[in-house]
Amino acid sequence: MSVYTARLARSRPQGRRGRGYPVLAGFVLLALLMLAPFALVAMNALKTSADYAAHGPLAWPRSLSLDNLKTFWNLVDFSHVLLNSALISGAVAILAVLLSILNAYALGIGRVRGRTWIIVAFLIANLLPQEGLVYPLYYLAKQVGLYDTRTAVVIIFTVIQSAFGTYLLSSVLGAFPREILEAARIDGAGTWRILWRVVVPVSRPTLMVLLTFFFIWTWNEFLLPLVFLVSNQNQTVPVALGVAQGEHIVDVTMQAASGLLGILPAVAFFLVFQRTLTRGVTVGAVK
Amino acid sequence: MLTTGTAKRTTLIMAALVAGTTTLSGCGSSSASSSSKVLTLWHYEAADSAMGLAWSQAIKDFSAAHPGVTVKVENKTFEQLQKTAPMVLNSSTAPDILEYNKGDATAGLLSKQGLLTDLTPQVAKYGWDKKLSPNIAVTSRYSNGVMGSGDWYGIPDYAEYAMVYYNVDLFNKYHVPVPKTFADFTAAMDTFVHNGVTPLADAGAEYPAQQYLYDLALTKADPAWVTGYQISGKGDFHGAAWTYAANTLADWVKKGYIAKNSVSLKATDMGSAFESGKSPMMVSGSWWYGTFESEIKSFAWDTFLWPGSSLVPGSGGNLWVVPSKSGNKQLAYDFINTTLQKDVQDLIANKGAVPVAADPADVTDPKAKKLIQNYNALAASNGLAYYPDWPSPGFYDTLTAATQDLINGKNPDSVLGSLQTSYQQGLNQ
Amino acid sequence: MTVAGTAGPAQAAPPDIAARDARRRRGRRRERGYPLYLIPGAALFLAVIAVPFGMNVWISLNRWQGVGPMTWTGLANYRRLFADSVFWSSFWHNVLLVVAMAVVPTALGLVIAAALFDYLGKKFGPRTASVIRACIYLPQVMPLAVMGVVWGWILAPEGGALNSALRDVGLASLAHDWLGDPKTALYSVMAVLVWIQIGFPLVVFMAGLQRIDPALYEAAELDGASWARRFRHVTVPQIRPEFYVVLLMCTIAALKAFAPIYVLTRGGPGFSTDIPSYFSYQNFFEKTQVGYGAATATVLAVITLIITAVFITVQFRHQDEEG
Repeated sequence: MSVYTARLARSRPQGRRGRGYPVLAGFVLLALLMLAPFALVAMNALKTSADYAAHGPLAWPRSLSLDNLKTFWNLVDFSHVLLNSALISGAVAILAVLLSILNAYALGIGRVRGRTWIIVAFLIANLLPQEGLVYPLYYLAKQVGLYDTRTAVVIIFTVIQSAFGTYLLSSVLGAFPREILEAARIDGAGTWRILWRVVVPVSRPTLMVLLTFFFIWTWNEFLLPLVFLVSNQNQTVPVALGVAQGEHIVDVTMQAASGLLGILPAVAFFLVFQRTLTRGVTVGAVK
Repeated sequence: MLTTGTAKRTTLIMAALVAGTTTLSGCGSSSASSSSKVLTLWHYEAADSAMGLAWSQAIKDFSAAHPGVTVKVENKTFEQLQKTAPMVLNSSTAPDILEYNKGDATAGLLSKQGLLTDLTPQVAKYGWDKKLSPNIAVTSRYSNGVMGSGDWYGIPDYAEYAMVYYNVDLFNKYHVPVPKTFADFTAAMDTFVHNGVTPLADAGAEYPAQQYLYDLALTKADPAWVTGYQISGKGDFHGAAWTYAANTLADWVKKGYIAKNSVSLKATDMGSAFESGKSPMMVSGSWWYGTFESEIKSFAWDTFLWPGSSLVPGSGGNLWVVPSKSGNKQLAYDFINTTLQKDVQDLIANKGAVPVAADPADVTDPKAKKLIQNYNALAASNGLAYYPDWPSPGFYDTLTAATQDLINGKNPDSVLGSLQTSYQQGLNQ
Repeated sequence: MTVAGTAGPAQAAPPDIAARDARRRRGRRRERGYPLYLIPGAALFLAVIAVPFGMNVWISLNRWQGVGPMTWTGLANYRRLFADSVFWSSFWHNVLLVVAMAVVPTALGLVIAAALFDYLGKKFGPRTASVIRACIYLPQVMPLAVMGVVWGWILAPEGGALNSALRDVGLASLAHDWLGDPKTALYSVMAVLVWIQIGFPLVVFMAGLQRIDPALYEAAELDGASWARRFRHVTVPQIRPEFYVVLLMCTIAALKAFAPIYVLTRGGPGFSTDIPSYFSYQNFFEKTQVGYGAATATVLAVITLIITAVFITVQFRHQDEEG
């Protein structure tokens, strides 16, 4: 290697990164701006009520206090509430992904006739205002004896979330490389086996994305759990967070504390699943 | 390699599914206890509030008097009960007794549908009507869903009313005497404005602003006017009282008594403005009293009634109601009776709320004593005028929007016009 | 299952006809299995969505307070709705919301995803990109009630963080009553909505970018294409499926969502930030006019459905054209 190319080789990595630093700085600033409101929540969750009353929400806490966090935790039996939310969100995430796979397989790869209208029909589940469904679902659930049960909530959200999953997955599967399917078919695989041995593994990044979204969306759902899970033992996190909001008075530091406790699990879940999102399977490997 | 991976994952998923669904269906069932040894009680007051503490005491007294009976308390969130009460009370999950909101849209509606037990026989038996003044009883009795007369459906053990909270230290700093007349009141506000201080804390996005409006209207009203507006559907927004109120409120904003940028604030912000010493006065309900007691440490504060008016917003507090599907009605009645006993009522008073049936002499704290005395005087003279959004369900949002328009400078006549239209529409529903 | 094309009839048919028959058989065989996969989805859909929606339409033809008997009113609720000016004027606000929750986040999300994936990820490693992605996604996780309170603190006219910052920097003239002035309220809400929503397109696009064959990017880079050109000629065409999906889902969310409006401004000041879905919610739960609310929900559903159907038809036609 000539001296010239050697010098070029040494200087190139730094040169390549050099122009990237302002961009990185910009993004870091953006990230901080996105996080600023969370910092505010955390700050006020750790204040005492008197501190908040005297100095307002934007001042640093004069003294850090875990009182609000502890009070809220015990008041709603937060560990139990967390379990409810985790169970429901987890079940919905898994079941909705499965349902989406089944639907999208038929629509995206099978190209069933009238698939545009079928997708639109499924999407109805997602685009209906939830208020419109509350009273009918309440009545139906009562008839079946599922009112005030977590099972009812899981079933309902599986259908609602899978609408989006069906739509996204069938769009992506619509562009699935035909050669792979042909190859598998030539190997003698039937539709069922192709689904689980070929389509699912290749679609893993999208499936993981769906899983993450479904979990988070279900976690944050408010109206239907509010209506369906009335007994305290069945309540989910967003419903329990309302405890700081009284009829006339809002206990702001308690609300911040409850908000902080409500955010942490969903954040943790996202961070865990983030790594799976990055790993994923690339189409290149199949080639 | 793909085979083993996918097969493993599929089995895992299936296992998770089965496990998950079984667990869910197993522990998901609702438990409506109609065993005669457990009284299920729902309420939504904070545990450390005056009501929360008083009711804990009531539960202790009740348990002592009924050995073998456990009281199962479920703390609800207000929002949840508000929205789901009709659905819950119509199902097997209904509790034995619960706290519920007073008014036509809430207790009235449920009573009309037969979801609440008629308490009239119990009222006679226990003598509750002797403890509740007629002004309070209005929100306990509903006939065909309209309050004011008819059968008893709920019993409050506390009351609420609006007053002026003021910052004693700030008043002293600017040498402002406590107003005794309406003229004194505006003079006081002038002094504060001259010194660059916004006199009144307000919140336009929620109930406080419309309560200012109502307070102003009440200065030109009498109990008959209140009944006409609230119960008989004869309210007239183009009448003298409301016209005065709208014009004065707009005027006050121009003069700086109420900050124009309070239009987007929520009730908590109003409380914060008072608690941080920014505004020397705040006109709102007695429900703030306990919060101020525990949170304001940096200055002295006290209260006075809105000067120059015999009527203020206020009413009986939230009601204890007994669902028709309650499995323990007798125990529920006994519990209600317990809350009206002297020791519980005194506890309510001493913790900074307004009991319906307490003797001021039993109250130790002077500020609290004044609170109760003022209330007793109002109750005796029919001075509680309920709240401006009560006439029809959903009127609250219209009033909020209208008051915001007023604060933002819209013409009072057009605002009043839209209020009248909404009021009529709501009545026709 | 026999492999297509080998089991021909005993009579020797001409080769092209045999091939066409074989293709037809293949097509039919392919169609036979797939519709079965739709059965679980269809059954659940019927029970959880179709039947309740039908009940909702039935309720909309009555007057009902949520409990007790219903009174038949026929189309009266719909007639009232079509004459209700508050409802229709709030639709314009919805259009702006669609811009704030769909158009802007999708566009920005795509650019940021490409920048993070293609540019930053390559220069600083995928972990940096992941961290930044997580930070941008986080607002999607925040409970809405808390979010309302926090943004109230930031946008408060007197002591709010934004106005204080503006004053500190010397731009005091820009300080506003963001949520209280009818002229700025809706735009302030839109800004908050972008903050909330941008994480969703970002995550979907970044997952989609992994799907793209890296060889395409390498080829473009070897040809000397800058990041911007790579974006236009490689990223945008390849990411189309996700793009359509994200745009549609965000639009639907914008048409449905009222919770951010509720916690920030309660539809005020005046009615300047009111939207149809909040209007619907109020009728259901605050005014207990369930029949009227049901009519509102039905109309909203139909409108959203029409938009969705058009969108998807366009999308699939595009995709089918590309083959």
